[in-house]
Amino acid sequence: MPMKKLLMASAALLLSVSAAKAQEKTLTISVYGFAQDEFKKILYDPFEEKCGCELVVETGNSVERLAKIEANKADPVIDLAVISMRDALAAAKDGLTDKVDTSKLSNFDKLYDIAKDPNGDGMSIGYTFYASSIAYRSDKMTVESWADLLAEDVVDHVALPNVTTTQGPLTLYMLGKALGDEDPSLKTPIAAVGEKKDEIVTFYVRSSQLVQLMQQEEIWAAPIGRFAWSGFSKMDLPIKWATPKEGQSGGMNVMVLTKGSKNRDLALEFMDLWLSTEIQTALAENLVDSPANKDVKVSDEIAENLTYGADTVANLHLIPSQVAIDNQETWLSEWNNKVGQ
Amino acid sequence: MFQNRAEAFALVLPAAIFAAVVFLAPVLILLSEGFGSGDSWTIQAYIDFFSQSLNQTVFLRTLKLAALVTAASAVIGYAAAFAIVNLPPKGKGRITGLVVLPLMISPVARTYAWLVILGRTGFVNKALVAVGLSDEPIRFLFTETAVFIGLLQLFLPLMIISLISALENMPRDAVPAARVLGANWLQVFTKVILPLTKEGLVIGGTLVFTGSMTAYITPAILGGSKVLMLETLLYQRVTVANDFVSASVIALILIVMAFAANLLLKRLATARNKR
Repeated sequence: MPMKKLLMASAALLLSVSAAKAQEKTLTISVYGFAQDEFKKILYDPFEEKCGCELVVETGNSVERLAKIEANKADPVIDLAVISMRDALAAAKDGLTDKVDTSKLSNFDKLYDIAKDPNGDGMSIGYTFYASSIAYRSDKMTVESWADLLAEDVVDHVALPNVTTTQGPLTLYMLGKALGDEDPSLKTPIAAVGEKKDEIVTFYVRSSQLVQLMQQEEIWAAPIGRFAWSGFSKMDLPIKWATPKEGQSGGMNVMVLTKGSKNRDLALEFMDLWLSTEIQTALAENLVDSPANKDVKVSDEIAENLTYGADTVANLHLIPSQVAIDNQETWLSEWNNKVGQ
Repeated sequence: MFQNRAEAFALVLPAAIFAAVVFLAPVLILLSEGFGSGDSWTIQAYIDFFSQSLNQTVFLRTLKLAALVTAASAVIGYAAAFAIVNLPPKGKGRITGLVVLPLMISPVARTYAWLVILGRTGFVNKALVAVGLSDEPIRFLFTETAVFIGLLQLFLPLMIISLISALENMPRDAVPAARVLGANWLQVFTKVILPLTKEGLVIGGTLVFTGSMTAYITPAILGGSKVLMLETLLYQRVTVANDFVSASVIALILIVMAFAANLLLKRLATARNKR
């Protein structure tokens, strides 16, 4: 019976294919879309070689990526995701992530304390952070306080981050400190910005846009994250990184494990490699990410472009994730009322 | 042309199925999000949307800018199209090519050029200061003026092309005849040219209005979040807040406004004709 034989043969083939698939280990990660060439060279390729597995990398902005994790909650596709500290707390509250078994991370003890458990729930590990301050034209103005951004003689050459960006609340938070009101509702700083909204050049959404505005002398100052600094420092203009008396703000990005994901051990292995002194040093030297591993040593020249060193890290004024989550709606509606129109 | 309707129907079927599956169905699914979660239909999302003053401002601004761009492109477009139609054939082809050329350049590149031209150290400001019209550079960027200029440059070619083809279809002797009979240029335009080219004006006007309303890149780059328009607001709602309900509401508003503009322009054209 040729027909029966054929059926059996194809069934056997199917079985062997799926068996082979099961043997082949795959780890799926979800990351920010930037510097992927460097990440491939420094982190992804060495990991694939080490584990003998396939690494699938999904990229996108955090809203898209979180929406996807939420949609696949019942049958997770992503094993490990890289998001902001605030999003990590929100995801944990939505039951999208699992506790990280740090006993399996050989590099855990090398991390700065602030990175070990940023949200205090054991659900995330910080792998990089950045300071946020003001990039400004030192020939046109001085910046000693965050409030200098709103000074009458320069405000019409200032770009501020929109409240919807990561930098937005950080800037308002530091502006609030400078204005003597640290209330988490940010009402005072938002009102202060609202009063000057017509003079302020723009409320930017992407920091990449600022480089051109600075080059065209449309703006003299803008609050940015340290990760965007290299674009400014390369310009042929006297641009400085401010150290305001209220200090610098900043943020941290973390790794989380998706609840119910199937490749837990592989994910932890990947996490451990990413936190290792070797990989963190390579990422720092290529100016991809500032290290969260305190054993990382880099030259002064590299350090200049990063958020580097125990002192810097200890002095960052981070907004606690819970405060950010609780107040986000208030910030947005307050902003829309006072600034947005 | 066809022996029977069945033949024509069979020919159109593949395209119709394709459009229904990959265009109509997704659009309907997306739009349905604005009317509640399936259990009961409601227009609450629309009421909520229009009850917020920011959204009202953005809606009116979008309407205003789209209308202004359409009106300006009609005025400039008629002048340009009339001049082009009366050129000798060789020159006409060349100039029409130049008019179409910007359409072949990416809107991102074109809009970035405006970012440089309209900047404080840009060409426009340098000229204004040099001529003495202004003591110091004026800030154009991130204002409604910048968005208006960007949109006008983006969509003017569509109006000119529509009007060129309308003017070409006009009887050659119509204008000289009107002139011989003693009509001045204003009368020639309102009594002869406008009625005879209204179809082109309706098509061009709809394209420009709809385009201006739904353009994203130009308002995003030249207006930023200080000059939010419906399209940039839609993007913000989705990428920042993951709020597909508001996005769906805005999408339907844009679709309705596009159809309304087309109907209105047609109505204006026929009303003028009856007079």
